[in-house]
Amino acid sequence: MKDFAYTRARSVAEAVSSQGKFVSGGTDLLNLMKDGVESHDLIVDINGLPLRGIAVSGPVLSIGALARMSDVASHPLVRQSFPVLSEALLDSASPQIRNMAAVGGNLLQRTRCGYFRDIASPCNKRVPGSGCPALDGENRGHAIFGGGDQCIAVHPSDLAVSLLALDASVRTSKRVVRLDDFYLTDPVRETVLEPGELITAIEVPVGRFTSRYLKLRDRATFEFAVVSVAAALDLRGRRVCDARLTFGGVAPRPWRSTAAEDALRGKDLSAATIAAAASAAVRGAVPRQHNGFKVELVQRAIKALLTDLGSVR
Amino acid sequence: MKQIAGLPIDRIDGRAKVTGAAKYTADTDIPGVLHGVLVLSTIARGKITSIDTGRAKSAPGVVDVFTHLNTPRLTLLPFFPYTRGFIPMQDEIINHDGQPVAIVVAQTLEQAQYASTLVDVRYSQEVPKAVLGQVAGTEYVPDPALGEPNEFTRGDVTSAAADVKIDANYSSPTHHHNPIETSASLAVWQDGKLTAYETAQGIQFSRGVLAYSLGVQPTDVRVRTAYLGGGFGSKSVVLPHTLLTAAIARVLGQPLKVVLTRAAMYTSTGHRSEFRQRVALGATKDGKLTSLIQTTTQQASRTDEVTYNPTRSARMLYAVPNLQVRQQVAALDRPGAGFTRSPETAAHFGLETAMDELAYAVGVDPLELRLRNYAEVDPETRQPFTSRYLRDCYRMAANAFGWSRRSMKPGSTRDGQEFIGWGMATEAHSSLAFPSSALVQMNVDGTVLAQSSTQEIGTGTLTVMTQAVAEIMGTTVDAVTFQLGDSDLPAASWSAASATVKSVVAALDKAGKAVRDNVIKLAVADARSPLSGLAVDQVEAEHGHLFATGDRSRRDSYLDVMSRHGNVVATTAQTPSTPGYTTGAVFVEVRIDPRSGRVRVTRAVGAYDPGRVMNRKTARSQVIGGITWGIGFALMEQTVVDQRTARIVNPNLSGYLIPVNADVPDIQALFVDKPDPGSPALGARGFGEVPITGVPAAIGNAVFHATGRRIRDLPITQDKLL
Amino acid sequence: MPSRRTVLQAGGATVVTALGPPGPAAAEAPAREIALKVNGEVHKVAVEPRVTLLDALRERMNLTGAKKGCDRGECGACTVLADGRRIKSCLTLAVMREGEEITTIEGLASGDRLHPVQEAFIRQDAFQCGMCTPGQIMSAVAVIQEGHAGSPDEIREWMSGNLCRCACYPNIVAAVRDAAR
Repeated sequence: MKDFAYTRARSVAEAVSSQGKFVSGGTDLLNLMKDGVESHDLIVDINGLPLRGIAVSGPVLSIGALARMSDVASHPLVRQSFPVLSEALLDSASPQIRNMAAVGGNLLQRTRCGYFRDIASPCNKRVPGSGCPALDGENRGHAIFGGGDQCIAVHPSDLAVSLLALDASVRTSKRVVRLDDFYLTDPVRETVLEPGELITAIEVPVGRFTSRYLKLRDRATFEFAVVSVAAALDLRGRRVCDARLTFGGVAPRPWRSTAAEDALRGKDLSAATIAAAASAAVRGAVPRQHNGFKVELVQRAIKALLTDLGSVR
Repeated sequence: MKQIAGLPIDRIDGRAKVTGAAKYTADTDIPGVLHGVLVLSTIARGKITSIDTGRAKSAPGVVDVFTHLNTPRLTLLPFFPYTRGFIPMQDEIINHDGQPVAIVVAQTLEQAQYASTLVDVRYSQEVPKAVLGQVAGTEYVPDPALGEPNEFTRGDVTSAAADVKIDANYSSPTHHHNPIETSASLAVWQDGKLTAYETAQGIQFSRGVLAYSLGVQPTDVRVRTAYLGGGFGSKSVVLPHTLLTAAIARVLGQPLKVVLTRAAMYTSTGHRSEFRQRVALGATKDGKLTSLIQTTTQQASRTDEVTYNPTRSARMLYAVPNLQVRQQVAALDRPGAGFTRSPETAAHFGLETAMDELAYAVGVDPLELRLRNYAEVDPETRQPFTSRYLRDCYRMAANAFGWSRRSMKPGSTRDGQEFIGWGMATEAHSSLAFPSSALVQMNVDGTVLAQSSTQEIGTGTLTVMTQAVAEIMGTTVDAVTFQLGDSDLPAASWSAASATVKSVVAALDKAGKAVRDNVIKLAVADARSPLSGLAVDQVEAEHGHLFATGDRSRRDSYLDVMSRHGNVVATTAQTPSTPGYTTGAVFVEVRIDPRSGRVRVTRAVGAYDPGRVMNRKTARSQVIGGITWGIGFALMEQTVVDQRTARIVNPNLSGYLIPVNADVPDIQALFVDKPDPGSPALGARGFGEVPITGVPAAIGNAVFHATGRRIRDLPITQDKLL
Repeated sequence: MPSRRTVLQAGGATVVTALGPPGPAAAEAPAREIALKVNGEVHKVAVEPRVTLLDALRERMNLTGAKKGCDRGECGACTVLADGRRIKSCLTLAVMREGEEITTIEGLASGDRLHPVQEAFIRQDAFQCGMCTPGQIMSAVAVIQEGHAGSPDEIREWMSGNLCRCACYPNIVAAVRDAAR
């Protein structure tokens, strides 16, 4: 990789004005730089910033952007009240990476699409206008939702899927953005973050949600999702008062199906309701040559997750 | 003779390996070593039209950049299996993706890595052929390269009567070896002589090929491989970067180190070919095989056409009177394939799945079907095996597994949501011995030095050879030092083809017995010895002591005899190549969650007949490793090739899945452990490659038992079971 | 300079001393001398910022116990402890680890006395080729310390960040159980 200048930021203000690339865990950034996908002249180490706290203040669980995945996953508050978050984190990467990677950086990790990571391949995300070999190529792992004719790479973060289910927001150096609005499906502009804008915290509303994460993959663990589902339900008895259903491994951004949520909301959580939600979730899916199975697999995952969550017989 | 071989002793190199003291090739500390990084082609077929190294050369720390225009010319050893068919960076031709087109040499690794990105290569490109599906109809039977024909017939399959027929196609994708240690070369020239620190499964072959290609005498080349971080076939042939590293180090006059990246391993070391096969079985209504046709197709490259994945199981496993085997290739613009751990597995999967299909077609238990077709004699030669306890393997493994409780009906076993399936398969692999030599020397202090230029690839060679020498000499393990991994030691062959034990132990046995007898001669001829006057065959050696047979009060010791003698006693012996075949049986349990279709292997039991077991601890580890490879083969491993570019989409360990700890259940390994009187190696046969062979079929058969779904195209990923 | 851990314990009130003011963007930064504390000993090494901790250990300090199996965080052979927590040293820059206590496989034994995990790995034959072993052992030490060695299934999951191609997994599980006792 090309060498770069390195500095440690002493304050958020200093970081933001540095015009450099922020590094926290570095677990994705270093790979991107080693593979030549990204190149930076200045790396700004933000690990010294006081952004690691995990606490509930008022109606919000605030997680410092530099909190490590493992620390968030094992935090008693998170485990008790936001199991979907803890589960998604523990299903991510490997224990070593979870000790290194910060949650803020996790939200910004880039797709694992093999064409994106190979600089000899065309890629509209890496070189706009160069083409997308995945559209008609090896696309078993690619998107069935939200992709256009430019890019069908999937977003790899499990954490983001779980946070989206919890209707979390991202606090940055200049604003608060709901995760719903944070991610874009544009191949180049992946989030609404502006140059120099720094994620300082993740804020999760404290609610009475029952939540869970289900990740399906081709080996037991230590793998990105083939398909994942996060559910956060406000259940009163069998009745679903409110629901959020989000998905990983299926779209260029953490995906949410409001149609599936609508199919659940106000209904009793029965096998029929769940089946209706599952089929609503995949309406409009655009499968490609090798990933058509995801349409079925997502539905199976929804059914398995909601059945378990609601103890539906 | 006191038994020492076979004891489950801890690995001799255990301490070195758990402390980080074991130095692998890339760990070798050579002051002033330069770092070389390969630039790899990004097209699969065509020519280099221009190559601009200007920016790379002017990057900080860069010493020089080598391309086909300025790399020394190397001579290709023109025959299999020593090299990979062609040497890159000798001309502008591109034969496959990931072919080395330049080597950047710099003072530090980071400088070389960065400068390698600055080499500007332009190509003229042709449309490549990437997968077998694109070249259907071009299959042909190549000339034999392995000393065995690619077509065999026995009897007449066309006129064989059959009550029941099975005829199906099976397929498996490209696999890569993925040893955790990537290949590395470190070349040091001094006074016209080369020392090459290599990741080589056959250091003598590396020496020979280096000498031939570089135009120097073999005696001027020394190859060292202290430890190998796994190989699995990826390090069995002399890879191009080895030759290039040595040639460039010679030009530069400085030591040079080249360590392949993980991605480069996917295009540099060969691979298990994408594989397609048809298996047709004919049988009587009670399941007795009357005919077997197996036609296999594997990949050739533009520079070689070797059938690395033989169909030996069809020829050897069952008593079938009419047989037709045809091994075809079809040429792709891909790197040449290569041997990959247990190369017979690919074809074996088809045969052992077809046997399960036959069992269901005739309504006979799959194990019973195999017993009905048991080969009492070698089906090839019609001669009795020197030793064959496959029937015992079936019985031992079936009992330990509880096979008799299996209900034949598919889909009949459930545990809550999960479907449970039990499957089995025969396991088998040839186990050769290659010509080998070894030195055994008794020192004046009564300790023993043994040497052979074999390799410690992880199978426990250092340990079992030490045990073997201790047993042969009648001394203790502590008294024996075994040295390997240096081509200046007596010649040995590859750590491959499950051959090491049979090859090297045979040579050690021959040399060791001569040394032992010579030392006993010294004792019985010495008036000061309590054994004085006895015949050599009236003296036994044990724990470093010499006893008169039948009167253990008359004793001497190696220490005393040798210190009186005052000189070492040494012999070097050679042994020839011998064929061999080792069998076993494996039984597995799978559980499948119907909601996701994902298959988990939850139990596995294997039983094996490797002749005499050399170390029950390390042998068990080889079984665990083999069965785990079988799990990977069956359920997840696949190299994905873009059909338009013939480039690999997943050349990394997050995209190419190998089993992780959580994929592997407890595995039970059983051994018949009866010496093979036909083996010159203390009754041992090689068997390291046996335990994978049946596992992909056994898992597929278990999946069928669990679900009624027969998956004939591997891997069995969840999308295939939805 | 306080370690990261002390920063964390102080609730984020302490600010790590910066090495210098943010400099202008530069394409080439000269190697600088940093002090890395490895196995209790301070090593002064000259590295460019781009040098990973793994390459600093292997190529600059001749601490070759940590292995490079993939250089992408996908195999775990480079696992070391940083302030007692296991990390993959190929995915972190050496300059980022100044001020931390790094422990590699070479620092595990006390003189001639092996660490209980090292002993258990030998006893249970939890390796073959040995290439992944330093990483497996560092992970195993951490697994026990983290409290994730409660059952075989728990060990399997929490040891799954370390690939073993010889595939000694059941023996690795046995070794972790053995050492955790």
